[in-house]
Amino acid sequence: MRNWRYIVYIVVISLAISFPFYAGVHPIHVATTILSLLALALSWDILLRGGQLSLGVSAFFGIGSYTTVLTHLNWEVSPLLSIVLGGLAAGVVALVIGLAVLRLRGLYFAIVTLALTFIFIVIVRNLTDLTGGAIGKLIPSVIFGGDPAMIYWLTLAIAVATIITSEIFQKTRIHFALTSIRNNEIAAKSSGIDIFKYLLFAFVVTAVIQGVVGGVHAQRFAFVSPEESFSLTFTILPLAMCLLGGSFSTLGSVIGAGGLGVLAEYLRLMMPRGHLAIYGLVMVMAILLMPKGIVGTIREQLVRRKTASS
Amino acid sequence: MKKGILLIAVALLLASSLVAVGCPRPVLEEPPVEPIRLGAVNPLGDITGRQSAQGMKLAVAEINAAGGILGRPLELIVMDDEFSPAVGAAAIEKLATVHEVDIFIGGMASGVHLAQIPILAKHGRVTVWIGAASHLVEAAIAALPDHDWYFHLHPWDYQQVEGTVEGWAAIVEKFPQIRLDRMFVAYEEGAFGAAGFAISRALFADVTIEGESFTSAVFGGGDFRAVLRHAKEFNPDAFVWVGFDPDALGMMVQAKEIGFAPPVFLGTPPGWPVGFGEIPLSEAVWLYGMWSPELKGVSPEAAHFWWAFIEKFGEEPATYFAPLGYVNVKFVAAGIERAGTLERGPLIEALREVRFEDTAVGWPLTIAPSRLIRHQGFTRQMILQWQGGRQEVIWPFEVATAEPIFPFPRWEDR
Repeated sequence: MRNWRYIVYIVVISLAISFPFYAGVHPIHVATTILSLLALALSWDILLRGGQLSLGVSAFFGIGSYTTVLTHLNWEVSPLLSIVLGGLAAGVVALVIGLAVLRLRGLYFAIVTLALTFIFIVIVRNLTDLTGGAIGKLIPSVIFGGDPAMIYWLTLAIAVATIITSEIFQKTRIHFALTSIRNNEIAAKSSGIDIFKYLLFAFVVTAVIQGVVGGVHAQRFAFVSPEESFSLTFTILPLAMCLLGGSFSTLGSVIGAGGLGVLAEYLRLMMPRGHLAIYGLVMVMAILLMPKGIVGTIREQLVRRKTASS
Repeated sequence: MKKGILLIAVALLLASSLVAVGCPRPVLEEPPVEPIRLGAVNPLGDITGRQSAQGMKLAVAEINAAGGILGRPLELIVMDDEFSPAVGAAAIEKLATVHEVDIFIGGMASGVHLAQIPILAKHGRVTVWIGAASHLVEAAIAALPDHDWYFHLHPWDYQQVEGTVEGWAAIVEKFPQIRLDRMFVAYEEGAFGAAGFAISRALFADVTIEGESFTSAVFGGGDFRAVLRHAKEFNPDAFVWVGFDPDALGMMVQAKEIGFAPPVFLGTPPGWPVGFGEIPLSEAVWLYGMWSPELKGVSPEAAHFWWAFIEKFGEEPATYFAPLGYVNVKFVAAGIERAGTLERGPLIEALREVRFEDTAVGWPLTIAPSRLIRHQGFTRQMILQWQGGRQEVIWPFEVATAEPIFPFPRWEDR
């Protein structure tokens, strides 16, 4: 049984890697966007496992985007290295901010992280000479000369790295630390868990992922602007994907991102106008009917059946 | 019994053979004519994008009713960009690879278009764009090794301001009671407002300009009292606000609240709220625009478009993107007709030569280089004024529909 699981993994990964060989350019484009959102959704979920609801994904995404473009433009750093620097910059900012804000819990933490996005928008708008101000900056060419397959593979690599990171967080003692913090912080503290250290670690790691995804986004579209790079879409959409698929698990975000991404494309195809309303309705209904997400609901049903049969 | 059935069957066979012989032989059908495919990308959830698409559909319907172009019908495929750069870029890819469109048209937001440019450049098909006014877009196009395939019909942001500088100079000369020595610009803090303010400061060289940003109601703002008080203290000849349509009503109500009524009160949103002209506060507010419904009284093309649009869709065009979408298709059709082919080289040459003396937006259209690109269409916008609920054209004087109301009436007189 265990071997079957690995066979499934190998088949899925092989299909994903070979996707550009059998799919058209448009599906590759759509898949690249879905993979980016998958990485964001999963990174958001990793921090949520410690009970911290972050609404600052757009902030780190934007920092990654801007760092990538500015290092590439000003220091002629190669596109790939600039993306890495984007991730690192987001990580450093998360480390500094985390030292202050990770003392907060619940709604207070959520609101402060949401405010980060707006603070960075104001900073970027006012550093006109460096960032191009409200108008933004262009880079002269798209990464890999705009080759959609190469951009897809790069994004796939980042998504796979995020999935592996998520699994590491699930399979190591970090999982127990974060879960215990989420379930009962006082009990976790009494058990000798350094709550702050684990939360800070998760906050920085997830910010690095978000910064890298932002860097790829900037290199893919060759521009940054405060409104686009710090758009709240990069917070809300991954959050919806994770909630739909099921939080506190790797599979949940993967299913949520894939499901909503494909649904959005299908609806766009079926009804060029009004598809967003149906998309929103599906999301609301799914979250109302399956508050634990697709994965959580299926798991619950399986447990219920098992209990009933025994 | 069996014989009887056999006889009936033979008789039926003979009868049907006779009928078949007597009937005219079926004519071999000609293969279906392949349509010329136009791929448009618009934000369909917004009135600008929706009416732009309607304008395009109207033009396609008229052209097809007249026999199409080069004996082929036009087919319009419209996709929604949802104001998202990623969605807008994917839409271009889909139009190019799945629908295999011949020409790209449409457009609205600069942020979306910046993401589309690398993909448009990769395909290199003729593109005639009617949105994306930011000079950053112009720079992105000009940075491409080859951009001959790109035509931009909407004026660039700096051209719009250049036009208003020219227009105000003409207005001040013709109406000496109007002065423009001191101007206060209240601008929304995003790219739209910031660019408007920066360019205004650069181009209105002889005018003392002061400015302050505000958060648009679109982004959760809406309290303009601080910026309005600052403007009142500055005592300008003209107060200009650069924002979006949801800011319009708040701006007027709060200006009245603090008793700020400068001689010229001007707003520059891309569109105005429905029914804005009907409220007394709108009287004598100046505005900039590429088009006005009142042009139907002076431009035959604008009049034709106005009535045809209402007849087809049962609603009035409410934004200049409606006639601009119509012009977009008409311009492309004229280019194809002139080229006699869809081949890139001759088509680009032909589009470069297209000249319209009059268009649905009320302006003539010719293609000329802008600062950075080779193929720019419209270069100016009009100076208009709300009068009796209508957007009257004040400048250019050739298409003017009214004289200006000056100064701005006191609030208590409304």
